[in-house]
Amino acid sequence: MSAPTEREQALPKPRAARRKESPLRKAVLEGLWHNNPVFRQILGICSSLAVTNLVLNTLVMCAGLTWATALSCWTVSLLRNWTPHRIRMMVQTLIMAFYVILVDLALKAYWPEMSKNLGPYVGLIITNCIIMGRCEAFARVNPPGLSLIDGLFSGIGYSMILTLVAVIRELLGMGTILGFPVPYFSTGWDKWIILVMPPGAFFTLACLIWLFRSIQSDPEGKKP
Amino acid sequence: MREKPWYPVVFMFVLTAFFSLILIGLSRFTRDRVEANQKLAVEKAVLLALPMALPAKASSLELHQFFLDRVSEPTPSSGGAYVLMEGDAVSAYALPISGQGFWDRIQGVIGIAADKKTVTGIAFYEQNETPGLGAEIAKPPFRSQFKDKQLAEGPKPLSFKPVGSSLGQNDVHAVTGATQTSTRLEKLVNEDLARWRAAMEKEGESPP
Repeated sequence: MSAPTEREQALPKPRAARRKESPLRKAVLEGLWHNNPVFRQILGICSSLAVTNLVLNTLVMCAGLTWATALSCWTVSLLRNWTPHRIRMMVQTLIMAFYVILVDLALKAYWPEMSKNLGPYVGLIITNCIIMGRCEAFARVNPPGLSLIDGLFSGIGYSMILTLVAVIRELLGMGTILGFPVPYFSTGWDKWIILVMPPGAFFTLACLIWLFRSIQSDPEGKKP
Repeated sequence: MREKPWYPVVFMFVLTAFFSLILIGLSRFTRDRVEANQKLAVEKAVLLALPMALPAKASSLELHQFFLDRVSEPTPSSGGAYVLMEGDAVSAYALPISGQGFWDRIQGVIGIAADKKTVTGIAFYEQNETPGLGAEIAKPPFRSQFKDKQLAEGPKPLSFKPVGSSLGQNDVHAVTGATQTSTRLEKLVNEDLARWRAAMEKEGESPP
């Protein structure tokens, strides 16, 4: 799982060239769909697998990641003209760690149960490739406002897929959504316990990536 | 200036100092709260394990007050268990239990009535078992089974049986799909109960 390189980002996008899209609209659509971090870039897979067996845990994790990505991108972009090129990764990691530790502190103090449920995964947001990828590929060379939007929508794009994985796993594996029993699934359905366990995440995520990539018609710039 | 060799060092130093200061400030600000949360989690588990009607929607502060009023801290004469007093007589014990679960340490409390045989409840304040499987031990359907069970003599006061099998006076159903968690929990509960019983017997022999 490597972050997109500069070269990839610099390549002209045929889609953008055809229609004149505003950079804002482009950042939004890229994060949500055309360049979705999970099913398109295959980034942030570790947490997609680790925290998706209960919808509530997933939602909190997604909120944490979205916050950290958006604000890290914004800060990296603010400092982009002063950051020495050679130590930029160090600076980015420091900024990311700062925002993630804020989330961790807030959860520990004000929502201890959730902090326990997520365990080490909050801290591990620091190593989430989505943040590093967006900082390195976008925020480093774009103005702060646009970078904030780009980070925000990359986070939302990630959250969409994670929530979907979590809904599938919790519903089929436990018959509940957010802990509330769902009719039929909680009674008549023979629960697929494997979906609640770690392998279930692999199956669900793989099927979703397959599905979304099939819907998405334009893999390498071919005509849609 | 940006080409100077010292620039990256100074830049990183200033940036690190800035972010660290904010974080240190905030973590000092929230430290008391975090510690209080940990203490409250233990107190709440003790209250849940003991036979008492908790106010349905009590705030953390009310629970804490309730705990202070009714429960006394562990002493050697209670074998390391919290004690619930009813007037001058012991009403029940709440024994802290801990040990290795499947992923991480499990820590909790088991309540035992004054007869030292009847279980009054069980609760956990620290566990990191698989959500939806092992973590079900912390949920009411599993925990409520323990109430009114009679501890058996010997090294195995409580037994975990597969779901579907018939239960005796000292049996509870294990968690389906969480064999590891169930086995380890059974072991740690029984070890701590056996140790407590030994401590209480010793205490009973010695002159008051």
